[in-house]
Amino acid sequence: MASFTSVIVKIGRGVGGVVGILYQSGRDSVDTVIRNVIPFMAFISFIIGLILTTGIGDWIAKGLKGSASSLPGLILISIVISIPILSPLLGPGAVIAQIIGTLLGVEIGKGNIPAQYSLPALFAINPQVGADFIPVGLALGEAEPATVEIGVPAVLFSRVITGPLAVVIAYFASFGLYSTSK
Amino acid sequence: MALSGLVAYAAAVTVDKPTGFLGALATAAEDFIRVFNKGGSVLLSLMGGILPTLIVLLTAVNALVRLIGPEKIENLGRAAARPGFQWYPVRYIVLPFVSVFLLTNPMAYTMGRFLPERFKPAFYDSAVSFVHPILGIFPHANPGELFVYLGIATGIQQLGYGLGDLAVRYLLVGLVVIFIRGIVTEAITARMMTKAEREA
Repeated sequence: MASFTSVIVKIGRGVGGVVGILYQSGRDSVDTVIRNVIPFMAFISFIIGLILTTGIGDWIAKGLKGSASSLPGLILISIVISIPILSPLLGPGAVIAQIIGTLLGVEIGKGNIPAQYSLPALFAINPQVGADFIPVGLALGEAEPATVEIGVPAVLFSRVITGPLAVVIAYFASFGLYSTSK
Repeated sequence: MALSGLVAYAAAVTVDKPTGFLGALATAAEDFIRVFNKGGSVLLSLMGGILPTLIVLLTAVNALVRLIGPEKIENLGRAAARPGFQWYPVRYIVLPFVSVFLLTNPMAYTMGRFLPERFKPAFYDSAVSFVHPILGIFPHANPGELFVYLGIATGIQQLGYGLGDLAVRYLLVGLVVIFIRGIVTEAITARMMTKAEREA
């Protein structure tokens, strides 16, 4: 009888634990969505609305069409963004990358930029990723101050090489992507 | 009967487009509100389309991470610290992937503590460069910066294409890029460290 009770207690505890974890995970994800995702969606929706209804869209399309729908143009974007002085300024919260990404998305949706270029474009808009966060990121990895001093310029210089390189790799990896009709 | 007749009458009435000063104001007001109507419909399509999936996916992955326990990957961190060429892929592909997946941005960078100082900048570079390519398939890793991927993905969706192909390629090319980035940054760090030692 005692063993039967202990089995019941064990099952009850196990199920309770798993349900607790699932419930807590749900709470965490709703929290993240309300705090981080929905505010950005609101902001992006406003920008998309502005682009689609005003003439700004055509103006941006003219500017982006030449550069974002050819490999040299995308490489140029990535080189500009990866300049060691600019990249830390463009980094915070990936806000700039998210806005440029949305602008490009609108133009891809309108057919002004070929869908195949979506993959290299994802890398062209992003060579600055985390460039603002290097000292903090290294501190999270418990790096010594001497390492941070060398690490910041090392990462920034590396981006000048690997940023455009990533665009080239993505360009060659994009062959056959959305090139045939649905 | 009377009501339907009234509706038919109301529908038949047409108002001239307002002219003059007040007309210009009215047109401006309509254009003004059109921007926000359009924005609102975009917001609704985003919240109705992506958000429910995202919440369910976030919940499932968060639960998985809790059940596995992030502390399990510490052994992987120690393995990645070893010198030698065969550990390069572990250090700059497997470790960044697993830490970004399980620990998410920004806690993923804490895995750098298992590596010697000369690998830390390269590992950070590698890990931080992976917080966006992972978003196409595992958006839980960095939900605050979802639109780096989603902005472009929305355009693809509007064309009526599936996102799977783009998401998978983004992830795979991302892995190649972080591997190269890790190696290049490690080489640059090594050069700068020997230079700094010589000067000291």
